[in-house]
Amino acid sequence: MQVGMSRRGFLRAGALAGVALKVSFLTPAAQARLIETPPRPGPDWLTPDGKPKYRLDAIAKVTGAKTFARDYRAPDLAGWPKEQSHAFLIHATKADHTFEGIDLSVLGEGLKPDRIVLHEDLIADGITTPHPDFFGDVFLVPKGETPRLLGQPVALLIYRDFARYDAAKRTVRFDDSVVRYGAKTPFNPPPHYGASRYVRIDGGTPDAEDVFSPFKDTAIFGSFSGDAVVWPPAGEGDAMARGMAAAAQIERDIAAAGDGDLVLKRHYFSQSIDASAMEADNGNVWYDAESGVLHIMAASQSPYEVAEVSAGMVTKSKFRLTEVDLKVGYTVGYGTKDHYLFPFLSVVAGLYGEGRPVRLANDRFEQFQTGLKRHPFWMDNTLVIDRATGKFRIMTGHFKTDGGGRANYSFSVSFVGATAAQSIYYLPKSDFSAAAFASRAVEAGSTRGYGTLQSMSATEMMVDEAAELLGLDAIELRLRNVFRSGMKNTQGAIPGGALRNEEILLKARAHPLWAERAGKKKAYEAANPGKKYGVGYAHVQKDYGTGAEAALASLEIDPQGRIRFRHVAHEMGPGVTTSQAIMVGEILGRVPDETEYGVVRWPQMPLETTDEPYTLSQEEEDRRKENPRWTPRITSPMSATNSVYYLGHATREAARILVDLALWPAARALWSRGTGGGMLAPYDVRREELSLANGMLNAGGLPPLAFEAVAAEAHRMGLPVGVSVHTFNRWQWTEAEFDIPGRGRERRVVDALALRYGEGAPAERRQLETTGGWHFIERAAVSYPPTQRNNAGVTYYAPMATLAEVMVDTASGAVTLLSHHSILECGRQVVPELVSGQVQGGIAMGIGHALKEYLPLYEDGPGDGTWNWNRYELPRALDVALWTQTAEVLPPLSDSDPPKGIAEVVMIAVVPAIANAVTHAIGKRFYDLPITPEKVREALS
Amino acid sequence: MTLPTKPLALTVNGQPVGPLDVPEGLMMQDFLHEYLNLTGARMGCGQGICHACTIMVEEADGAVREMRTCITGAHWFAGKKVVTIEGHAQHDAQGGLVALSPVQQAFIEHFAFQCGYCTPGFVTGATVLIDQLKRAPIPRAELEKTVTEALDKHICRCTGYVRYHTAVRDLILNTPGLLRG
Repeated sequence: MQVGMSRRGFLRAGALAGVALKVSFLTPAAQARLIETPPRPGPDWLTPDGKPKYRLDAIAKVTGAKTFARDYRAPDLAGWPKEQSHAFLIHATKADHTFEGIDLSVLGEGLKPDRIVLHEDLIADGITTPHPDFFGDVFLVPKGETPRLLGQPVALLIYRDFARYDAAKRTVRFDDSVVRYGAKTPFNPPPHYGASRYVRIDGGTPDAEDVFSPFKDTAIFGSFSGDAVVWPPAGEGDAMARGMAAAAQIERDIAAAGDGDLVLKRHYFSQSIDASAMEADNGNVWYDAESGVLHIMAASQSPYEVAEVSAGMVTKSKFRLTEVDLKVGYTVGYGTKDHYLFPFLSVVAGLYGEGRPVRLANDRFEQFQTGLKRHPFWMDNTLVIDRATGKFRIMTGHFKTDGGGRANYSFSVSFVGATAAQSIYYLPKSDFSAAAFASRAVEAGSTRGYGTLQSMSATEMMVDEAAELLGLDAIELRLRNVFRSGMKNTQGAIPGGALRNEEILLKARAHPLWAERAGKKKAYEAANPGKKYGVGYAHVQKDYGTGAEAALASLEIDPQGRIRFRHVAHEMGPGVTTSQAIMVGEILGRVPDETEYGVVRWPQMPLETTDEPYTLSQEEEDRRKENPRWTPRITSPMSATNSVYYLGHATREAARILVDLALWPAARALWSRGTGGGMLAPYDVRREELSLANGMLNAGGLPPLAFEAVAAEAHRMGLPVGVSVHTFNRWQWTEAEFDIPGRGRERRVVDALALRYGEGAPAERRQLETTGGWHFIERAAVSYPPTQRNNAGVTYYAPMATLAEVMVDTASGAVTLLSHHSILECGRQVVPELVSGQVQGGIAMGIGHALKEYLPLYEDGPGDGTWNWNRYELPRALDVALWTQTAEVLPPLSDSDPPKGIAEVVMIAVVPAIANAVTHAIGKRFYDLPITPEKVREALS
Repeated sequence: MTLPTKPLALTVNGQPVGPLDVPEGLMMQDFLHEYLNLTGARMGCGQGICHACTIMVEEADGAVREMRTCITGAHWFAGKKVVTIEGHAQHDAQGGLVALSPVQQAFIEHFAFQCGYCTPGFVTGATVLIDQLKRAPIPRAELEKTVTEALDKHICRCTGYVRYHTAVRDLILNTPGLLRG
């Protein structure tokens, strides 16, 4: 059990001595293909005031250029052989019989594979799964053993040509004779994945010191006895014992609740779904035995992890490895391509390619059969409310989830669900637990919402019912309990910044959909016999980030004022490449002329890491950080809604440092030219008066300076015209001090810094540029957030509320969305079009979860290989109230509001809002999702 | 044993292709991807549901229709003129982009897509719709309904459809001759 592990868990790369890792983004050319519109020089993607007219990647995507990892074949990849082999996997569809082999007689001689790979081949060659406690103990089911999970691969078939591969794959699809099974056995899942508990009792008021909380004391970790969770005994001893005593106290308080309290106990279920990213999992791998280089082209949200883990895996095998050369294209996964097994299966295929690149690419049936799923949650909630005041006194929730047959992030998803369950309410006493169980189901993992969609939807449905039972307006009940700025969450941590839920509630209460719902219901139903009308409200706040967010970014200006921007982030679809460039423009007053994303070679930043950001002890971290090149983590996956705030922090810090160290001093120098200190001398102009916009620098009534002129002066003066930073956040930012030549010691919100000096720099400055042509400044001091922050769970939240207006057809049971209105708070929007696109897309996904998408877990579920979008219903345009939906974004409190990550929160509120609307329509409550026409008909019968 | 093949010749994006020996059962999508290196018509479901794989077929009268390449054999297209997503924009002799099609331009200006995987299908579907409206204009009052019903078969997982459909609606409003009355 990893105590203190935070949101996305952890992985540590194996020992990689002697193996070079090279990761590169595949399509800088495509990405940079922007329409040039003379006479204005440079890309035309911006309006004159620096706003994007379209996404940075728009042209490549809209013209069908190769952009996705899936689009590339060996001949497209520089340096690869031209011949492309293709592979597919045979999967087990029974998890209660031994696997005894495969029978390919159905293929005949003509379609026989050129190479068959079985588990026994892998063992003979020293190939084992990396991190078996995360990715499972085998790639392929061993002969004589019972599969761990439905859909587990049993054999890999490789073909040297596409036509035979294609014909063979179509032949064996759905053919039950191909996999031979032996004796019936019990199911064979791995051990259960983990149980954790978050107990808090406040000190009498939100401000007082907590009696017990995870942040102040500890989270509690359970173990398993069979299928039962065993919690530590309650007592006065260690922190976990005291936590269990606090939990017991809460149980006694619930039992003692009297007539003055409403005690509501309800059970909720949220189903397993497939995120159905349009690009199915795929990889293309060439192992060059002669050079020992493993070339990987993979769809991944976590390319660093793919490179490192592949290296560790191959190093232990018989295959000699000198270098891993990973290329990544654009991809899309909604979390399901973050830390998943498929890239490593692709590596296995490549190792057996006999010198040829091997492409392994799921079709949609295979994607359902093996792709990571959203976790089903079973939730037992109790809410105790003082009837007189409507104040929540206690809330408990005990959750179980089924992670399927590989661990992946199941444990982490379970406790993130538990720590989010409070939704937007302040809870004086709370006890949330979550247990992640193993089973033969297809594995579940990181999927948009990450446990919080499940837990917050339940809470929002419960609060709606509580309001009805108390005779209160559902928004009024929320207002009485709303979580306000400075309060403590159920982990005992104070979230960062202002929480503006009250503003949102007041707006929602005044919205015509809510204010006029009673009258409209009456009128609608009178005019539409057989149709019932309802409006539902729900409101959630979602954390973003992982508690170990790291990023790298660099900015350089040349003497002509051209800006070059490089960042470790790569594009998943939300527009990170566009928004990061715009963020540079907001600070420098000009967007970059040249951008490069997915950059993973940073010779100027010689950082070292243990990559154990969640589990390192304070003592160990204090020792490690004395090494000025050490950092808790190099970079983060593209996931957890982390781009705009966390990855953007590196962008913004690099830009701010460039202004401070180069642009401001250079501007001052220009303004100071001439006798007696020039035109600057009579004025008292300060750094904070400097404004950079539209390619000009202004300050204090001095003549505006063109960016180009200032850049030239910065170069002439030899100032730092290149800035590279590394940033780290553990629910709080790391700061460090650096001795900057010519300036002295400065404190910055980064943990590593490298500079490159302008053309006029003196020789002694030049001599400092010894690290990849840069001056890597070893920090003089560093303040990493205390490791105790890992227990805080989360501190960064963004809220969203949705009003859903539905019509229920009482004959068919069908629920139709008539309209919906959402209210979002996301700090300062960087690109409003991207924000609204996220809102619209998130809501559509939520509609699918609420009304349509459903997967059985076991034998009749996706592991059987027969699922596709014919029977798995996705939301379509006609389902989303396309022309009637509206949304508003709260204006920022000031221009200095940080931009907040919203990609996950935007999909959640609509789920319980629809459930609450259906209840308003027909007077029946639903506790199981999705709300299908069958369930509605049953409720009405 | 080799798979039975037949010669296939057709016109793709204005260029004659073939005759090539192509397996009889090969789907058009795989022909485009694996034989012509045109990967823009994307594999989504392989069942003809999501329409990420569609291309245009030009009829003799110049009209275009939308075809699903994941469930239509390559040989069905023998002798036909097809336009894939790679053929919508105008390029110069060196392959440089000269101009996007009106639908492509509308999509980028509306920030219509996110991951972009389904975009080729939407470009195709919207282009076919506009071609149909040129031949048979509709009343303004039917516009939104027409757009949504025409594009509803195209699945998108990122965007919630709003910006795609709004882009097409606005393009139709701004293109003379597509509405009547």
